[in-house]
Amino acid sequence: MFLQTLVTGLSIGGIYSLMAVGYSLIFSILSFSNFAHGAVIMLGAYIGLALATQLHWGLGLVVSGSVVGAGLLSVFNERVAYSVLRRRRAPSLFLMISAMGCSVFLENMVYATIGSRFYAFPEFFKREVVGVWGSSLSLLDVFAFTVSIGAIFALHLFITQTKTGIAIRAGVSDMTMCSLMGVNTDRLISVVFFLAGAFAGVAGVFLGIKYFVYPTMGWVTNKAYIAAVIGGLGSLPGALIGGLILGVLETLVSTYLSSVLRDVFSFTMLIALLIWLPNGLMGRDTEEKV
Amino acid sequence: MTAKKEPAEKSAKPAKYLEIMGLHVHYGNIHALRGVDLAVGRGEIVCVVGVNGAGKSTLMWAIAGVLPVTEGSVLLNGVPLVRPAGRAVRPHEIVNLGISLVPERRRLFSPLTVKENLIMGSIRRTDREGIAADLERCFSLYPVLKERLAQRAGTLSGGEQQMLAISRALMSRPSILLLDEPSLGLAPLVVESLFETILKIREEGVTVLLVEQNAFQALDISDRGYILQTGQIVESAPSIELIENPLVRKAYLA
Repeated sequence: MFLQTLVTGLSIGGIYSLMAVGYSLIFSILSFSNFAHGAVIMLGAYIGLALATQLHWGLGLVVSGSVVGAGLLSVFNERVAYSVLRRRRAPSLFLMISAMGCSVFLENMVYATIGSRFYAFPEFFKREVVGVWGSSLSLLDVFAFTVSIGAIFALHLFITQTKTGIAIRAGVSDMTMCSLMGVNTDRLISVVFFLAGAFAGVAGVFLGIKYFVYPTMGWVTNKAYIAAVIGGLGSLPGALIGGLILGVLETLVSTYLSSVLRDVFSFTMLIALLIWLPNGLMGRDTEEKV
Repeated sequence: MTAKKEPAEKSAKPAKYLEIMGLHVHYGNIHALRGVDLAVGRGEIVCVVGVNGAGKSTLMWAIAGVLPVTEGSVLLNGVPLVRPAGRAVRPHEIVNLGISLVPERRRLFSPLTVKENLIMGSIRRTDREGIAADLERCFSLYPVLKERLAQRAGTLSGGEQQMLAISRALMSRPSILLLDEPSLGLAPLVVESLFETILKIREEGVTVLLVEQNAFQALDISDRGYILQTGQIVESAPSIELIENPLVRKAYLA
């Protein structure tokens, strides 16, 4: 029972991590919390859904398609809503407000065009379970966890080992100097938004498979935001660890205490963290977290 | 520190490599540069001297394309970098044209390692062999950097940070190097060797525009000097003449 709870927790935690990575990437480079990220995840889920139900693609292709689609949407979002503000050197609070506007806009676009129906993915895993030490683990949970960890590890390699990755970290440290090295910072920011969107695509498909696809499903990213704060906004290892911690703790609370208390617990934790540990477990020192 | 000045003495009128004409820059509400004219010949070391707030750094940031220019023009080898209308070539394009800035307080990528900082310097280049050769050149200039490659730039000493900042700028293989207050916050002995390396860099064919508060030493290694006062050039002459000019001595070399 405990192992089963743990694996369920880790799998939902892995999805939280995927979403938290998107928050952290954008926070680290532009110093604002991109609250439109949830809407990108939702759109990623719809893209995956369309590929799975209309084109009958397999899971691998569905995830890849959603990665590319959500990545491009995220870049488009930045170009339309944030880059103008950036050029005018607007304070990050303005960017955050613009992000909230985008989020509401995108959700209502989906209501207006696709509707408010709940859609389910076709069953990729046919409720398969694997028995490990007397516990039965859902194959989906194991798969979601493995892919999440794998994707975050790949991102870590990209950020630390490639020239583009080094340029992203240089931009996080000093954007002006980064451009003086010859880096087109507008393009660099687009790359970061594409990465964040790509992770949103994976997260959207997994969320959609685990639960349903509907216009406000992006609100679950509030949890991812908590995960990012636990780990420390702007820190990649922090996003991973924060997501896993939150996923496991939540599952433990709903299994052993009450599932009604789950969200109460999570948001209490957010408030407590912002008061006592605002930089999270691995975050850099910033006073400003919008 | 006395091996210098050959190029300027050979030709009294150096060919203008970097030419700045009537440059006006506003910094918020402040009219920071009020019609600056300045020229640097190929292979020269030219130094701009002035007190704090005279507009020296503004001049550097404007040449590098970071600060928008209200009026005036900047020509590199006859090609305009700033159009009279204002917004012009962007910073990352300026680097590709061969201008590299080492800003005041160095502005290293402090969480990145020394090696990663040097990679950033050469990020736009694709010639692997050339990059490797330039890396060796930096190590021969500053052997200590080779030992510190895996260390984070923020943990280096002030002198080492300046070495890294200059090396990072050289890794883009600039034809002209802009140095903004390179001696700031360094111990006297380190300053001495810093000015010696500036001469070495020039010997390798790099033109240098130097901004300094440390006027005496800067004029000592440079060919010509300009005096910048509240956003205007008030004096320009070969460095030797500036050093001997009693007014300059009184105001800047005391």
